[in-house]
Amino acid sequence: MKNDWLQIQREYWEQLTAMGRKAAGLEAPATNLWEQAIDHWWQTLAPAAPDLARDFMGKMIEQGKMFFRVADGFTRDLGVAGAAGTDGWQAINRTLEDMQKAFGGGLQGGDDALHKMLAFWELPYDNWQRMMSSLSPIPGDLLRNMPHDQVKDSVHRFLSAPGLGYAREEHSQYQDLVRRTLAYQQALQEYLSFFSNIGVKSAMRMREALEGLAAEGKTINSARALYDTWVGCCEAVYGEEVQSADYARIHGQLVNAQMALKHRMSVMVDEALGALNMPTRSELRTVQDRLQETRREYKALRQEVERLKRQLASTPAEPPPAPAPARISASAPALSKKAPVRKKTPASRG
Amino acid sequence: MFPIDIRPERLTEEMLDYSRKLGQGMENLLNAEAIDTGVSPREAVYREDKLVLYRYQAPEGVERNPVPLLVVYALVNRPYMTDLQEDRSTIKGLLASGQDVYLIDWGYPDQADRALRLDDYINGYLDRCVAHICEAHGLDAINLLGICQGGAFSLCYSALHPERVRNLVTMVTPVDFKTPDNLLSAWVQHMDVDLVVDTMGNIPGELLNWTFLSLKPFSLTGQKYVNMVDLLDDPEKIKNFLRMEKWIFDSPDQAGETFRQFIKDFYQRNGLIEGGIRIGGREVRLKDIRCPVLNIYALQDHLVPPDASRALKGRTGSPDYTELAFPGGHIGIYVSGKAQKEVTPAIGRWLNER
Repeated sequence: MKNDWLQIQREYWEQLTAMGRKAAGLEAPATNLWEQAIDHWWQTLAPAAPDLARDFMGKMIEQGKMFFRVADGFTRDLGVAGAAGTDGWQAINRTLEDMQKAFGGGLQGGDDALHKMLAFWELPYDNWQRMMSSLSPIPGDLLRNMPHDQVKDSVHRFLSAPGLGYAREEHSQYQDLVRRTLAYQQALQEYLSFFSNIGVKSAMRMREALEGLAAEGKTINSARALYDTWVGCCEAVYGEEVQSADYARIHGQLVNAQMALKHRMSVMVDEALGALNMPTRSELRTVQDRLQETRREYKALRQEVERLKRQLASTPAEPPPAPAPARISASAPALSKKAPVRKKTPASRG
Repeated sequence: MFPIDIRPERLTEEMLDYSRKLGQGMENLLNAEAIDTGVSPREAVYREDKLVLYRYQAPEGVERNPVPLLVVYALVNRPYMTDLQEDRSTIKGLLASGQDVYLIDWGYPDQADRALRLDDYINGYLDRCVAHICEAHGLDAINLLGICQGGAFSLCYSALHPERVRNLVTMVTPVDFKTPDNLLSAWVQHMDVDLVVDTMGNIPGELLNWTFLSLKPFSLTGQKYVNMVDLLDDPEKIKNFLRMEKWIFDSPDQAGETFRQFIKDFYQRNGLIEGGIRIGGREVRLKDIRCPVLNIYALQDHLVPPDASRALKGRTGSPDYTELAFPGGHIGIYVSGKAQKEVTPAIGRWLNER
C-alpha cells in the first residue's frame, strides 16, 4: 500500500519537474504554472495520505503558494522594466502604489497577481473565520460579503415594525437577532478595514526597507529573501498598530458582537427546546452550578473530617478514671461495669 | 542601485526546490512514527476528577533533595511542554539536579466543569495535591514551581497557605497584568467577559489559540511553514516540529467561571498589584508570601513581558528574593538548549541551597 502510494508520488513528481523545466524557458516566472502543478500533485496524493501528513503538507502547500505569490507580485513588472535601475524603481513603486490602492479599496481591485498576493494579508482574518467556524454552525465568513447597504432600508423597516399579540415576543426576538447580526457585520467590517489600513502602511514600510537596502548597496536576489523582508515589514507595522487603544476597542467589539449574536441564538434554541419539552442549556447550567456547589461543600467537609480523624488519632488516649473504692454489700448485685463518660476533646467540637 | 535582482530562472529554481523538498518531506512524514509527548518515566500518584498528579522517577546516583518539588502548570495548553523530548526537558533537568519532581496535569475540562472557580482550583485541587505530597513525605511544606498562569496560581496559593510552601519558584509568571507592552492584556480590556462566559459556557481552546496566533499572525501562521520546508529532509527535525505543533494546538477549553474570574481579577483589575482578589472568601495579599522566592522571566517573552514578571520584586513579604533573567522567549525557556544548560540547573542549585 505504502509502496504504491510512493510510486504515485514519484510519477507525479516527474511530471512536476517537467513542468518546471518548461517554466524555466519562459520569459516571466510561471507562478500559476507551479501552483497548477503542485495542486495537481497534491489533489492526487492527499486522499491517500495519513491525517497527520495531510494536515501538515496542506499547510506547507498553502503557505508555499502565498510565498511565491508575494515574490510574483513584487517582481511581476520587473521583467517588463528590464534592467535594474530607475526602471526597477518605477516598477516597484507602481506595484506598491497598486497595493496601497487595493488595500484602500478593502482588498478589492488590482490585477490577478496583485490580488493573490494581497491574500497574504487575509491571514489574521482567515484565523478569525476558521476559529468562528469551529464554534458555530454558521460559516465564519458568511457575513463578510453580505450586502448591507442595498438592504438597509428594508431591514430598518423590519426592525422598526412593532410586534403585536401572541407573536409579539417572538417578533421582538427576531428583531433582536437581526440587530445583533448587523452589529456583528459592522464590527467585522471595522476589523477588516483596520487591517486594510495596516496593509497600506506595510507597503510604505516595504518601500522604506528597499530604499534602506539600496542605500547600503545590498540586493535581494531570492524569492525567499524578498518574502522574509515583506513578512518583516508587515509584522513590524502590525505590532505597532495592534498596540493602539483603537485596535483594543475594535478587537473587543468584534468578540463582543460575535458573542452577543451567538447568545441570542442560544436563547432562541433554548426556547425551542423548551417548547419541545426537552432540557434546555440554561436548565442544565443551573443544575451544574448547584451540583458544583454541593461538591465543593462535600469536599470541604470530607477534608475537615479527615483532619479531625488525624487530630483524634494523634491525641493521647485518656487513662480510664481510677475506680472508686467500692463498698460491697452483701445485697449488692454483681458489678456491672459502666462505660466511663468520655470527656469531649476540643477536636470533637469541630 | 535597485535592490531586487531575482532572475526568472532563479525563481523557477526556487519553486522546483520547494516542490522537491515537499516531496521528500512527504516520504519522511510517511515514515514518521506517532508523535510522543512526555519522555520521562512517571507514575500517577493521585487522581481527582480530571486532575492527575504525577511523580517522576528519579535518576539513579543523584542525591535527592528531601523536600519534593511540585510543578504547577497553566490551565492553558498542556504540561508536557515541560518534558517535550529527551534533550529538551525541564523535568529531566530538575530531576538531574536532585529534585523529587511532582507535576499536576489539570486535564481537559468539559461543560460539566464549567462551574469550577479559582477557589476550586487553588484551595481545592492544588491544596489537596500539596496535602497528598506532604503526607507521603511526612512534611508540613513542599517546594512549588509555578509556570505562567500556574505561577499566578502558585503565588495565590503561597499567599493563602504560607505554611504549606517551603520555597517558591515562578517561571514566566505575570504579576503586573497591565504593563504597556502586554498585548494580551490590552486586547481583553474591552472584552465583555461576562457575555463571553455566559454565551460559551467554557471558553474554547480555539478562541485562545486565535488570540495567541494574533500576536504575530504573519510569522506564526505563514512564515513558520515556509521556513519549515527547509527542514523537511531531516526526519528528526520534522518530528520536533510536529511535536511543537501538537503542543501549540493542544489547547484545553477553560472552565468558564475560572476564566471569568481570572480575566476580571487579574487582567482587567490587575488584582495582584492593586489588590482585591478574593479566593474562597479570603483576600490574596502578596505580602503574605514569606518563603524564599526565585522569579525567572524571559527577556524576549511576547506573552508575558519581562516587566510583568519583574513586578514581583518588593511585593512579597519574603526577605529572600532572587531574580533570573533568561535571554529567550516564553517557550524557549523550557525547550531551548540554552535553557537546559542555564535555567534548570539554576533552579536546582537555588532549591538545594535552601
